[in-house]
Amino acid sequence: MIRVVLVDDHVLFRAGVRGELGAAVEVVGEAGSVDEAVPLIRELDPDVVLLDVHLPDGGGEAVIAAVAQERPGVKFLALSVSDAAEDVIGVIRAGARGYVTKTISSDELNDAIARVSDGDAVFSPRLAGFVLDAFRDGARVGDDAELETLTAREREVLQLIARGYKYKEIAARLHLSVKTVEAHVSSVLRKLQLSSRAELTRWAHERRLI
Amino acid sequence: MNQISVLPFERSGDDRVIAGVCGGLASTLGVDATLVRLVFAILSIAGGAGILLYFALWAYDGGKRTWPAVVLIAAAACSLLLALGLSGVAVLGAGLIAAGLGLLLVRGGSIRSGGKLPVPVIVLMVIGAATLLDHVGTSNSFIGPGAVVGALLLVLGPWVWQLWREHLERIRLQERAEVAARIHDSVLQTLALVQRHAEDAPRVSAIARRQERELRRWLYGSGAGDAVTLADALAEAATEVEELHGVRVELASAGDLTLDESLQQLVLAAREAMTNAAKFSTADEISVYLEANGDQVAVFVRDRGIGFDPAAIPADRRGVAESIAGRMRRAGGTSAIVSAPGSGTEVELTLPRAAQ
Repeated sequence: MIRVVLVDDHVLFRAGVRGELGAAVEVVGEAGSVDEAVPLIRELDPDVVLLDVHLPDGGGEAVIAAVAQERPGVKFLALSVSDAAEDVIGVIRAGARGYVTKTISSDELNDAIARVSDGDAVFSPRLAGFVLDAFRDGARVGDDAELETLTAREREVLQLIARGYKYKEIAARLHLSVKTVEAHVSSVLRKLQLSSRAELTRWAHERRLI
Repeated sequence: MNQISVLPFERSGDDRVIAGVCGGLASTLGVDATLVRLVFAILSIAGGAGILLYFALWAYDGGKRTWPAVVLIAAAACSLLLALGLSGVAVLGAGLIAAGLGLLLVRGGSIRSGGKLPVPVIVLMVIGAATLLDHVGTSNSFIGPGAVVGALLLVLGPWVWQLWREHLERIRLQERAEVAARIHDSVLQTLALVQRHAEDAPRVSAIARRQERELRRWLYGSGAGDAVTLADALAEAATEVEELHGVRVELASAGDLTLDESLQQLVLAAREAMTNAAKFSTADEISVYLEANGDQVAVFVRDRGIGFDPAAIPADRRGVAESIAGRMRRAGGTSAIVSAPGSGTEVELTLPRAAQ
């Protein structure tokens, strides 16, 4: 059983998500703001926090910043309707293990929660597109070449995610195991979080929307 | 990408004193017409530049007569500079710089750092700057007209300021009215529709998604009206397909481009591929991915539906497939369909950047 805390300021949306979560997931707590969420997560120490990117008093980034240090076991999965590159990249760089849009189907949401809880990364097609765009100019390399560029394989995997392929389908298409595909996505997530690419921030600011 | 857009300026039919030029310019620039008339009046004192400029814009009128307008504007600029006390040679220098900038605009390039700067432009601008600097220094009659303008500003400044304040207030009220109207036309209507069709889940979710996209584009996008970029146009096409066929279309993109003729064709081909997937695949979700990089633009349209054997396409589908392929071919690109029974379909559309 995966223990989940829901953080979203829309009560209706929380009720909707609670109804959609499967048998493998138990909602142990809910919060509607950063101030509510932080003590709740500290107290409950859940496996996964489903986190809205936008909260009235600071947003998902603030929650992660306040909790991640002392509760390293808690995984964050960002949910958003905004889809603004700035917000998405911001919450991922703060430490979220994945990002999905709020229109995601129930099955996929349950799958994403399980994946994040296992320590893997979850990218929506849209986030994959964002990352490919931000890392587009592979030639420009900063201090740490490994962190500043995507490998050809990572690029391939992200491209297929953006095209709507699931991990299993990607594995079949590239003749890899699902584990290897997961490893590539996790590696991209690490680069996204640790890369010092000034590009990334500038790009996110410039590209405010889809 | 380097085409110069036609200014949407047109003479105003209802806000006119002589020919409606000031009124039209004011509505194009979004400023008060009185302010524009004032500027023209001041410019008219300066060697008649305002009058020439007025005739130039009259001639231009929405791009009808471009060249007479350019000549008249050049004449207006010359008379203004002469009136400001610049010598004929200095005006020539300024003219050379302006010609350089004009050439830059026509030939494509950028004066920003990192942009490419054609050699003739550099030559024209350097000669112009040298001529100008050489002669401005010796001419001290520059101060006279400057003092006149300063005095005018002192006298008229408070009045202009007042006008400006009132104008800002008017804009604010107008914006609020626009927001209210838009919310009424879109969100409230949609909510009413949702209430009436509450039992029809697919329809409600299609309506809600359409509204979501519209609102999102209005809040974060390039505004109402026709799409300007490829991603916007694809989003529009996706919304139409969603509405017509009751499927979900997920759109992701890396990179974007300003729409042009061949990209329009790409959008139409992609729309056709989405329609196809919606009609025949039985999948309830379609993934669309746009990738624009230095060499080419690619759009992938994928469904996880029943798929088919491309070697044995039934006749009624061949027409549609051919229209996608034909469209892409005519636009200078290619298309490929990957499908097999039971494993969904993916249509890949590519357009080399050189073809644009």
